[in-house]
Amino acid sequence: MEIRKMLFRKEMKLVTLLLTSLLIATASATVYYSLTVTSTIQVAQTVVKFELGLDNVTAGATLSPDNTVVTMTNLKAYPNASYTYTDPVRVRNNGTATYQMRLKPVSLSGNTTEFVYVRFLLRNGTSDTSPTLASLNYTCSGGSWTNTGTTSWVDIPNTEPDTRYAITVETKAKDNAASASVTIEIAVDVQ
Amino acid sequence: MAEPAILPEFFALLSIDVFLLLSLLTCLLEDRFPKAVPYVYQIAALIGFGHLLVSREFLSLFGEYMRFWYNFSYLLIALGNIVAINLYLAVEKKLWSLAKAWSGMVTFPLTVISVFFVSNYSYLQGAEFPTLILQIGLVMSAIVMGVSISIFLSPDLLNKLKRS
Repeated sequence: MEIRKMLFRKEMKLVTLLLTSLLIATASATVYYSLTVTSTIQVAQTVVKFELGLDNVTAGATLSPDNTVVTMTNLKAYPNASYTYTDPVRVRNNGTATYQMRLKPVSLSGNTTEFVYVRFLLRNGTSDTSPTLASLNYTCSGGSWTNTGTTSWVDIPNTEPDTRYAITVETKAKDNAASASVTIEIAVDVQ
Repeated sequence: MAEPAILPEFFALLSIDVFLLLSLLTCLLEDRFPKAVPYVYQIAALIGFGHLLVSREFLSLFGEYMRFWYNFSYLLIALGNIVAINLYLAVEKKLWSLAKAWSGMVTFPLTVISVFFVSNYSYLQGAEFPTLILQIGLVMSAIVMGVSISIFLSPDLLNKLKRS
């Protein structure tokens, strides 16, 4: 009976209501916070994007409408001779801040015996004398391809109007190579 | 257009807090209200919480306009309850002093806060409220401030309110 009395005292009621109020208010605020997190995503303009270089025709380079994907369909590798596409495509920083970039292997399919290497070099400029900032090398030997893995991050500051970062492609097929093709997909990560 | 600083669901959150406040206040003044009232307001707050949870799942389905109106309706219900309690104290219970205190310390501040957030939201959405509302809001704020200063300068006023 005493316990029953105590339970119905005003203080107990108030404390109970206060606790449930705190619980409901906190839970509601959490839900609202998650709403603000999930609803602030919007489509933005790409700041770092590709643009075609001087060798884009030779390499068969084409860009997606937003300049975020580049496809090169006319790259050739010659038997026992290295061939360099110095400036098929460039990366350009259109923002005001300095971004970082890296080359990352994604997938490879096709022939595994007729090539020697395919290299992707990120250059600090667009000429063949521009220093290499990062390189991702695919090497074909003994019936399989290996690569050097994801490169480390490199800075790409915005130093308009002249600086572009060319992605140079070097290829080589093995001596007396038969007709073959390989498709390589790499990602250019930006942060 | 700039991203609004507050989402329409903010009004639901505000209403939940109003209901919780009402629950606690009616519990404190339990002699003057039916015993079930604090719990009814807790349930109303819980309904608001459920409404927020469900709303989160259908954000993409309902447009901004629809979301604003159902959240704003919920806020209106909460504010309506505050006014109803005010009227209940004044008309039904004839507790004039308490009704005045309630209107000064609960009804006006919460109404002004609600008007502020609604006008802020509308402004960010590009639909400004007429200047009249701002003026009314300022007058209400001035009244509340005047009452607060009076109580601050003469604490006996509070004792009189308590005795009533």
